[in-house]
Amino acid sequence: MSDLMGIAVVTLMIWVGLFGYMYRLDRKVSRLED
Amino acid sequence: MEWIVPKLISEILKWVLLVWLAVVIVAAFLYVQPAKSFIGESSRIVFFHVPMAWVAVLAFLVSCVTSVMYLRRRNPKDDIRASVSAGLGLLFAVLATTTGAVFAKIMWGAYWNWDPRQTSITILLLIYAAYLALRGAIDDPERRASLAAVYAILAFVTVPFLVFVVPRIYWSLHPDTIINTRGANEFDSRYTQVLMASLVGFTGLYVWLYTIGCRIETIRQRRRQEVL
Repeated sequence: MSDLMGIAVVTLMIWVGLFGYMYRLDRKVSRLED
Repeated sequence: MEWIVPKLISEILKWVLLVWLAVVIVAAFLYVQPAKSFIGESSRIVFFHVPMAWVAVLAFLVSCVTSVMYLRRRNPKDDIRASVSAGLGLLFAVLATTTGAVFAKIMWGAYWNWDPRQTSITILLLIYAAYLALRGAIDDPERRASLAAVYAILAFVTVPFLVFVVPRIYWSLHPDTIINTRGANEFDSRYTQVLMASLVGFTGLYVWLYTIGCRIETIRQRRRQEVL
């Protein structure tokens, strides 16, 4: 795997992780609003 | 995002955002060739640095507009909108500064050079950090909201000057902006496509963060009132 591919994969993992965290937070906030 | 669009559409938009930014990341590293005038692969940082700076300016603008709305209508929701947006603006400005420093290390040999852009963004960060400090220092909600609104408007007056004017007056190491001083976009077409897609994606990310922040702050205020 090239360096560039490695950085792309790590950046993708960070983005997916951040998205997952935000999605869960969004759900939690929705529950609190009800 | 329910603050802006209905629930089903907002759910779809979140998943579209996930795929959109994932495609942008892959394209930024694998679809675009590195720009010739940059050292090594350093030009790829532009796909993240420029959208972060754009979102910071957008967030400061939203903070200013909602502060004006608060002073006119005295609606506490406008105060929440202004504070959340200023916080996000500060976050994205820090991220833009950090990515800019990494770029500076590769291109100019040092993380920090006191270049006009680096100096002006530092002043901007201090101005908006002071906004959050001001909010934290006042207990009375109405007084806090009024003073913070006036401060946010005055703070935004400096944004065009610090972001667009100062870096163009003084000689700078910073590369040309997308539309350069000759009024032309001289990037490769693939480069422009990915950069524009990234700008759209980061704007969507800002909207999502903004709505979550506003909803959390509304719940927090409601609970505080229930306790009192």
